[in-house]
Amino acid sequence: MIDVKRALSRFRRSPAFAGFTLFVFVLILNVVVQGPGQFFSSRSLNTLFSKNMPLILTTLALSPLLIAGTLDISIGIQLALVNVVSIMVAQEWGVSLYIGFLMGLLASLTVSAVCWYLVSILRLPSILASYALIYVVRGVNVLIMDKPQGQVPAVFYKTYDSLIGGFLPFSALMLVLVFAIWAYLMRTKFGRNIYAVGGNPRNAFAAGINPAWVQFQAFMVKGFIAALAGIALTLMTASGNPLQAEAYGLRALSACIIGGLGFGGWGSMSSAFFGAGFLVLIQNTVYYFFNFLYRIIPGFTVTSYWQNLVSDVIIFLGLLMTIVTAKEQREALKQGFVEQFKGGERDDK
Amino acid sequence: MRDIDKRYDAVVACRGASLQVQPGEVRALLGSNGSGKSTMVKILAGTVKPNGGQILIDGRPVTINSGEDARRLGIGTAFQDLSLIPTMTVIDNILLGNEPMGRWGMVDRRQSFADVEALLDRFQIGCDPEAYVQTLMPSLQSMVEVAKAVYLKPRLLLLDEVTAALHRDEVQLLFDVLRELKAQGTAIIYVTHRMHETFEICDTATIMRSGATVADVKTDEVTLDEIVYHMTGRQPEAEEAHDGGRIDHGKGDLVLEVEHIALYPKVRDISLRAYKGEIVGIGGLEGQGQPEFIRALLGVMRHNDGVIRYLGQEVDFHSPADAVNHNIGFISGERNREAMFPNRSVSENIFAGRAARGRLFTYLAPKVVRDFAKAAVEEYNIVVGSLKHPANSLSGGNQQKLAVARWLAMNPTLLLLDDPTKGVDIHSRREIHRILRQCADEGMTVMISSSENEELLEIADRIYVFYEGRVSGMLAGTNKTPERLAAAIMGMKRDQNGVAREAVGA
Repeated sequence: MIDVKRALSRFRRSPAFAGFTLFVFVLILNVVVQGPGQFFSSRSLNTLFSKNMPLILTTLALSPLLIAGTLDISIGIQLALVNVVSIMVAQEWGVSLYIGFLMGLLASLTVSAVCWYLVSILRLPSILASYALIYVVRGVNVLIMDKPQGQVPAVFYKTYDSLIGGFLPFSALMLVLVFAIWAYLMRTKFGRNIYAVGGNPRNAFAAGINPAWVQFQAFMVKGFIAALAGIALTLMTASGNPLQAEAYGLRALSACIIGGLGFGGWGSMSSAFFGAGFLVLIQNTVYYFFNFLYRIIPGFTVTSYWQNLVSDVIIFLGLLMTIVTAKEQREALKQGFVEQFKGGERDDK
Repeated sequence: MRDIDKRYDAVVACRGASLQVQPGEVRALLGSNGSGKSTMVKILAGTVKPNGGQILIDGRPVTINSGEDARRLGIGTAFQDLSLIPTMTVIDNILLGNEPMGRWGMVDRRQSFADVEALLDRFQIGCDPEAYVQTLMPSLQSMVEVAKAVYLKPRLLLLDEVTAALHRDEVQLLFDVLRELKAQGTAIIYVTHRMHETFEICDTATIMRSGATVADVKTDEVTLDEIVYHMTGRQPEAEEAHDGGRIDHGKGDLVLEVEHIALYPKVRDISLRAYKGEIVGIGGLEGQGQPEFIRALLGVMRHNDGVIRYLGQEVDFHSPADAVNHNIGFISGERNREAMFPNRSVSENIFAGRAARGRLFTYLAPKVVRDFAKAAVEEYNIVVGSLKHPANSLSGGNQQKLAVARWLAMNPTLLLLDDPTKGVDIHSRREIHRILRQCADEGMTVMISSSENEELLEIADRIYVFYEGRVSGMLAGTNKTPERLAAAIMGMKRDQNGVAREAVGA
């Protein structure tokens, strides 16, 4: 009992808590609006996972970078890079799509290395460097594939859309894989070092850590997960498009912030997952809410832009809330210090 | 017996300083502000690279280019400004870079817990090893910082003013651990400003002044006065009192009265007064709460406790603009951050103070700005290429004169200066002093904070000395001697016979 209490209080203080609260809130909202029977049906869950897996994975990919105190907003267009490389390699060389995916992974790691070089070695501001990189990657994409084309063998996308054992969405397997790798990494030195480097690079250096090397590792992890996201995107769309997914970069970033990842040394991959989940479920909820309105109000029709407006306003409020909670935490901490100091003074006298 | 021997000589902060420490020896490193103590520590810790000189360990020359190098050589460091990562837990901080490893490249968690808990027990740190460091009290953070350095089982332990935030009983605990380490043959370099600690724990002391090591003594063979002599370069009580200032304060009107102001954690309890037409100095070591005090007066930071009376009225400024509207001027030593608009022209910089008053959209004729600036430049001998050149084209001294000119042109009732001559050449410094004195003669009240004793003695009529967020002494008239100032800065008070004693509540 006491252990449960302690674990609970530890979880309350953990960085993932804020994101978790938001996530649970919107999850309940979604279940209520959609109806539990429908929401928990394996078909609806499968659609939820398979349609949103690229965004969720992109958010997860971004989290090690944010923890290590850096950023890559060109990650969205990098999914398209993985997509076009995979498709074109399979199509032009006549090899299996597996080889294509492998080349896509290599492409993703290469772009990550380039971004790392710009940010950690040349010390360009990460947001500017990666923004510029968007246009470079986009140019490369169009060079590789000039217009949307290509297709994925049916066996691939059917597997992607399938349910394992009749209940587990195949796409969720990718999520499990990423979390398993992350859980392992968190138990290695790398897991400590990225928090140290993100928290305070100077002190990390004093503790014998090489910040640039740690950030390189973080970029490689990001490159790997981003490649998975690109593969998920390819399987989902079952075709190639050089100019897609660009907006995923900024959406993943806002998902990270909503999930409670700070800019450097704070948060975890769970935060990223909760943030992405919040984004996904809000859109889902708003969709079903409007459906509900159509049904009960005869003659009620609005364009789908209204749905976007409503869900984006809610996302904006979510972002605002993270700022409010962060500020409250800081104030509480400061107040606590003052109280303790006053107590100490009294003891002295 | 292994000899650990360090010699080193760098250009900027340290000039040919050298230092030796033997295994099982606790050596104090003493000196006043800017004498290069912390630089020495940072060089050994690998965070600063020396420009010259040599470091020898066991008689062999070594190079320390990074924290990693220092660790490999068995050097553990507890830094003055702490090297903890606030967003990480205590356990992760202590083990950082030195985790016990288990299988498959994973950190052995059980071992980690055991190690850290043993360590926390040894220091009697009563905190959850999984607490985030940023939620800990400053004193606990300091203890964790030391524990982190000790965890490395270093052959040489560097402690840079680690006791500044500690309570008395925590200091005793720390000393017990240090004695234990000493018995095990660890060499310890202990930087402190608290003299009684030197005598209590240290065997030997190296004293630094202006970047050079000037004396190497055994602590049981010297007196406090001798140490102060080495630090200041003056024979105690051998000199006449400075007569830089007037003593007839108290006759003028009370301009500023501060009672028991507190801004935790830096400022604990400060009371002082400033009268019309006098220059009040604020002295003390760095980090005793002077900048926070001045910013609390201005309303940049909100104080937690206490009362400020200005011209007989209780005030509580909400922002510096509020203070400016009450005719208070402020000049900071942090020119680039708090005073200059480096890329704007000289005349705009001078006019900035005037522009802060008045309505936002009032038309400012270029000629008004130019004439205003021209008059100020001439009056204060600021060497400028052209009024149109950007402010960062000027030398540090001239930039500072520019800041002074900006405020003086507004003729404030009270002028606050925070270390205004930091990095300013001697000539400009004299010029600034002359201007300040002239203004005081004309009835302005000037309050100047400085970490340089010479400057305070030269310019201030009265000097309040801050020590750990409290006033440890007020010097005026015949009391205003360099060694009394030095003593007050150390938190010491002198009894009737002139023998140094520890201040109460140190």
